[in-house]
Amino acid sequence: MPKIIHYRSKCIGCGVCYEQQPECWRMSKKDGKATLLRSVNKKGVFMIEITGAAMLKSSDVAKACPVNIIKIV
Amino acid sequence: MKQRTVEILAPVGSFESLQAAFNAGADSVYFGVEQLNMRSRSANAFAVTDMKRIVAACRKHQCKAYLTLNTVMYEHDMQLLRSILKEAKKQGVDAVIAADFSVIEYCRQLQIPLHISTQANISNIESVQFFSRFADVVVLARELTLKQVANIIGEIKRKKIKGPSGELVKVELFVHGALCMAVSGKCYISLHQQNASANRGACVQNCRRSYIVKDTESGEELKIDNEYIMSPKDLCTIDILDQVISTGVSVLKIEGRPKGPEYVQTVTRCYREAADAVALGNFTQEKAAAWKAEMEKVYNRGFWEGYYLGRKTGEWVTQPGSAATEKKIYIGKGSRYYPRKKVGEFLVESGTLQVGDTLLVTGPACGMVKEQVEKLYVNGEEAEKAVKGDKITFLFATRVTPNDKLYKVVNAVHA
Repeated sequence: MPKIIHYRSKCIGCGVCYEQQPECWRMSKKDGKATLLRSVNKKGVFMIEITGAAMLKSSDVAKACPVNIIKIV
Repeated sequence: MKQRTVEILAPVGSFESLQAAFNAGADSVYFGVEQLNMRSRSANAFAVTDMKRIVAACRKHQCKAYLTLNTVMYEHDMQLLRSILKEAKKQGVDAVIAADFSVIEYCRQLQIPLHISTQANISNIESVQFFSRFADVVVLARELTLKQVANIIGEIKRKKIKGPSGELVKVELFVHGALCMAVSGKCYISLHQQNASANRGACVQNCRRSYIVKDTESGEELKIDNEYIMSPKDLCTIDILDQVISTGVSVLKIEGRPKGPEYVQTVTRCYREAADAVALGNFTQEKAAAWKAEMEKVYNRGFWEGYYLGRKTGEWVTQPGSAATEKKIYIGKGSRYYPRKKVGEFLVESGTLQVGDTLLVTGPACGMVKEQVEKLYVNGEEAEKAVKGDKITFLFATRVTPNDKLYKVVNAVHA
């Protein structure tokens, strides 16, 4: 299964991921950074498995991230 | 605080640069925390929890600490913004530099002194009057001429425009560092091309690349002398610092939070010395030329004096990246210090080092120290040359810590 990986600490909180894919992302009110919903936290790197159908949109979001901290693998 | 006629404000993006600013005699420093500052991409941001250490270090060195919070702010940033400002208030940060009204409002509520950022593009006295309700210091737009700056300062005095502290509003000017092709940061190229907003500190600096101009009708490319048509050279006012200071400006600001401690220390020291020379009446063009040559050694894109003398068109770079005349090559890291003998011990991790080489040591405790090696000991024996894996010692007046990095300074060759 493909995965979204989010290197959260480098997030600058621009909100583009949330704008484009609100089903996967929220903007944290606590620290202003994006949060990958339902993800697993492995030492500050957040991961979630996605279906093939969500791949296209997730790839667009990864491309849109201005600081390139969203990867699809 | 130190009593000086004009304040030198240095950029700080790391603890190394903070110490470098102290070494150079800065009166004040500005820094960003977390992602709400204009260098959120490029500088290794400090965390909210670092503020305590920064302010404590500034107090020790009688230096003021300003926190920059000058990005565009979104709704989801408000809580982080409040927590940063509460911590800033608690730690006694001397002022916050801002342009967004949410920050201005929160600072007013928390009674934190405020400086209006150059992002607000203040270019006339009415704007100064407006912001004087909230701020004691205003950073003017970098596109004004010195005559316009002098007029604004004259009007502040004539109209007795006072800030919340009851003192006349002070004017701050950028005197050195990178310029933007757009009016003080009002640029959307990075946002349009790569969705990376400069106004959230994420600028990818597309303007710094080379471009061609193409006629879309004929498909012909226009030949232009310089391909870097959107990349201005760096601002450097050291030649005209006497004129800058004679406008009545109170704070001279240096750009460059993402740049290294050697940049911060060299540039801050040059402006410190130049401002002191102006105050003493012994500022000369010969001295200015020497300071300029010194500053050419560290990161720069070539210099021009900006728009301050009324230039209608800018000067553009002719090459990518830095035009610095020197560059640093990583050699190794500090391991220990023998204070009685004043000997520093370093571990060579890369490259080679020879007697006669100029060394650069950077670290949070020493800032930046540049020295020439006169005698070198490798693994306890006197030697001419050290290579990777060697443990080297030499006389060094500054305490060495394991956080120190050792570099070799070489002349940079530009194509």
